[in-house]
Amino acid sequence: MKFLTAAAIATLAFAQPALARDVTVDVTAIVEHPALDAVRDGVKDALGEAGFKVGENLTFNYESAQGNPGTAAQIARQFIGNGPDIIVPISTPSAQAVVSATRDIPIVFSAVTDPVGAQLVKQLQKPGGNVTGLSDLSPVADHVALIKEILPSVKTIGVLFNPGETNSVTLVELLKKYGAEQGIAVVESAATRSSEVQNAARALAGRVDAIYVPTDNTIVSALESAVTVAIESKLPLFTADTDSVSRGAVAALGFNYYDVGKQTGAIVVRILNGEKPGDIDINVAAGTDLVINPGAAEKVGLTLPKSVVDRATKVIQ
Amino acid sequence: MIELSNLSVIFGRGTPLEKQALSGLDLAIETGSFVTVIGSNGAGKSTMLGVLAGDVIPTSGRVAIGGRDVTRIATAQRAKYVARVFQDPLTGSCGALTIQENLALAAARGSRRGFGLAIGSNRREEFRARVAELKLGLENRMDDRMDLLSGGQRQALSLVMATLAGSEVLLLDEHTAALDPGMAEFVMELTQSLVEKHKLTTLMVTHSMRQALDYGTRTVMLHGGKVILDVVGDNRRNLTIEDLIEMFRKARGGETLDDDALLVS
Amino acid sequence: MSQIAFLGAVELGLVFSFVAIGVYLAFRILDFPDLTVDGSFPLGAAVAAVLIIAGWNPWLATAIAMAAGAAAGLVTATLNVKFRILNLLASILTMIALFSVNLRVMGKPNVALINQDTMLTPFFGHGLSEFYVRPLFIGVLVIIAVFLVWRFLASDLGLAMRATGANPRMARAQGVNTSLHIYLGMALSNALVALGGSLFAQTNGFADVTSGVGTIVVGLAAVIIGETLFHSRLILWALVGCVIGSVLYRIAIQLALSSDILGLKASDLNLVTAVLVACALILPRLRRGRAAA
Ligand SMILES: Nc1ncnc2c1ncn2[C@@H]1O[C@H](COP(=O)(O)OP(=O)(O)OP(=O)(O)O)[C@@H](O)[C@H]1O
Ligand SMILES: [Mg+2]
Repeated sequence: MKFLTAAAIATLAFAQPALARDVTVDVTAIVEHPALDAVRDGVKDALGEAGFKVGENLTFNYESAQGNPGTAAQIARQFIGNGPDIIVPISTPSAQAVVSATRDIPIVFSAVTDPVGAQLVKQLQKPGGNVTGLSDLSPVADHVALIKEILPSVKTIGVLFNPGETNSVTLVELLKKYGAEQGIAVVESAATRSSEVQNAARALAGRVDAIYVPTDNTIVSALESAVTVAIESKLPLFTADTDSVSRGAVAALGFNYYDVGKQTGAIVVRILNGEKPGDIDINVAAGTDLVINPGAAEKVGLTLPKSVVDRATKVIQ
Repeated sequence: MIELSNLSVIFGRGTPLEKQALSGLDLAIETGSFVTVIGSNGAGKSTMLGVLAGDVIPTSGRVAIGGRDVTRIATAQRAKYVARVFQDPLTGSCGALTIQENLALAAARGSRRGFGLAIGSNRREEFRARVAELKLGLENRMDDRMDLLSGGQRQALSLVMATLAGSEVLLLDEHTAALDPGMAEFVMELTQSLVEKHKLTTLMVTHSMRQALDYGTRTVMLHGGKVILDVVGDNRRNLTIEDLIEMFRKARGGETLDDDALLVS
Repeated sequence: MSQIAFLGAVELGLVFSFVAIGVYLAFRILDFPDLTVDGSFPLGAAVAAVLIIAGWNPWLATAIAMAAGAAAGLVTATLNVKFRILNLLASILTMIALFSVNLRVMGKPNVALINQDTMLTPFFGHGLSEFYVRPLFIGVLVIIAVFLVWRFLASDLGLAMRATGANPRMARAQGVNTSLHIYLGMALSNALVALGGSLFAQTNGFADVTSGVGTIVVGLAAVIIGETLFHSRLILWALVGCVIGSVLYRIAIQLALSSDILGLKASDLNLVTAVLVACALILPRLRRGRAAA
């Protein structure tokens, strides 16, 4: 028995040398939100798969700032004071709070759309210093192409977004750029809080051929309001967030934020295994999922083309 | 010299609650005279004082103080000439400030307020001396907040405050009504001496016929927003409380008063 | 709690003590329930951040941020004094409007300052760790602000402002232009809040439109903790109470974050804050009730 245990430990230690030491990874997000929570879970699972397991050799702390940048600043100091091996801030303000407070502890940010604009790093390739991470810039060009594929006659796309969210503003700019390249006009409709989403959606009815929702926390949190209006006015609703398809969107091409978390976790593991954060390039998260909902398409009098159905990674019935 | 000419005040004009509080009131008061104002409830006494102080802007007519037309001048700007003591001791002083601070606030009335310390050491001495004159022992409580004092003490201090900055006119609206008889007596004596000392043109509203005749140099009775009785000199000296009550009765169209006793007190 | 976490809490508490003093001026001195602060805090952050990025001297940028905050206070005061909109409602209108204004000022919802020179930059790298330099620097500013505000409230002008809030009728009778003092007080209050916002942006490396959320509650909590602790009627102690209250509030949050003793998480903080403020609001009432009985 004693021998067996010893052998098991020896085997494990041999197979995964990283197990030899205990590590601490501190994770923080600006707010509790399904997508951000999925990132966190992805990071944790990626660490687990690499042999860093909670309760064994991994201390995994998580704090949400409850939407308050003041609290985000305090969480940053809290983590830095703890001196973990790596800090993983999820979302732009959390990342800024952590990055501005330490130049020593390795940082792997996630779910930040524009890391250079947010001054987290000076450049995406070989960023240098103690910071690297993963950008979640949405593949907007592919979204425009998908809409055009499903709705070849599209002339105008209405976009619902909260002008108060950094990422959304960038995405709407990109949408206008790629739309223009395809000869598609973009109509903006803003909602600064979830209770305004319905009105913002109504404002688009009759003026556009399709509604598009980027990865916007405010709109996504009140997606049902947009879905109701879309069905009412027979407009197909496309989203960047794949989870939204089961809530009534016609199709989405986006990240699975759990996958984003796992990709982030992989970077964390590389650093735990000795790489320097400054040497790791910052990439846009990979693995775009196509999720479709033929039932929702039918409700607005639309049939999804075979090419799209065949390509879908998930079909909501 | 105070001149109120053809003053009309209509509250809530054009609403179902429209109320004419003053209807063409004329009154001229010489500098230095002490006028007691009587009249039944709703006669317009407080409104007249309000018009003088600037709280009420008349619907028509003219108000002049010392030859200056102040009809449309805001209360704060007019406070330079006009000092006031209210019926409610809580209104006339600021409970959240100390005795000293209340006095400092009053001393700066009419002058430009700047960034200088409100209570410098020289002022402190002056205030202390003025408060000591009251003989209420308050000079040892200069740093106590006003809301720790009794109504009578506050009213006495309100009078001191009214005379600190050298105004021309003193308006008193039933300023002893909320006090016990002893304190009321004390405050009236204080009023008398301060008015004489500072040579203030004074209007004092009262419901006490005795006060109305015992103090001052002239008595005015209001009714329905007009002056219906105006007595000075010998006429006034010969007037008894009973005469006044009789006039009151007449003014009210002969009806008897249930509260005669109150008026005589 | 680690030393860095403790110093961080002190630093943030000091930054927010400007908010607390502003809130004290509006709520306690002027008796004006002012929610403008939820907008003027991020306004201060936004203006300072944008100007610093545009290459302005950080001190000048901060001064202009304060002026912007003062302007926001003046808007609320105008709505209330001139147009006779209920004070609370007037401040809510300004607060809502400021959300859009802040977005306009920044051109986007988040402006980063991480690589910019701020007011604090010249003090870094002289041997003392940044974790000490920041609270020390802000602490000095706080002391100056407390002294200036206290000195102002002790002046003839300040006394008139206190009377305006405590008894406007009496103030007018004493020749105080109460409207003017509401303008002045609201401008001063929101300028201080904007100063807090601009320091927040400079110490944490970013200005974000969402950073105003709940500013008023944090400010009130600090004022009330200070009042409960010091229980003094002297203005100076009330101001010191604002600062201590603000720092204690942040230390309490840090404790909740760092210890499992109470089983609290950051997600419980909103509830903790609300309970704290409610208690502090109810306590004096209970005390008064007992005294009256
Ligand atoms: N702000 C106001 N709005 C509407 N009506 C008013 C207002 N102030 C006074 N009035 C009315 O004007 C009339 C005169 O009021 P005023 O206060 O001048 O009477 P008064 O002689 O002082 O009476 P009292 O002896 O009761 O103090 C009253 O009918 C009163 O109800
Ligand atoms: Mg009256």
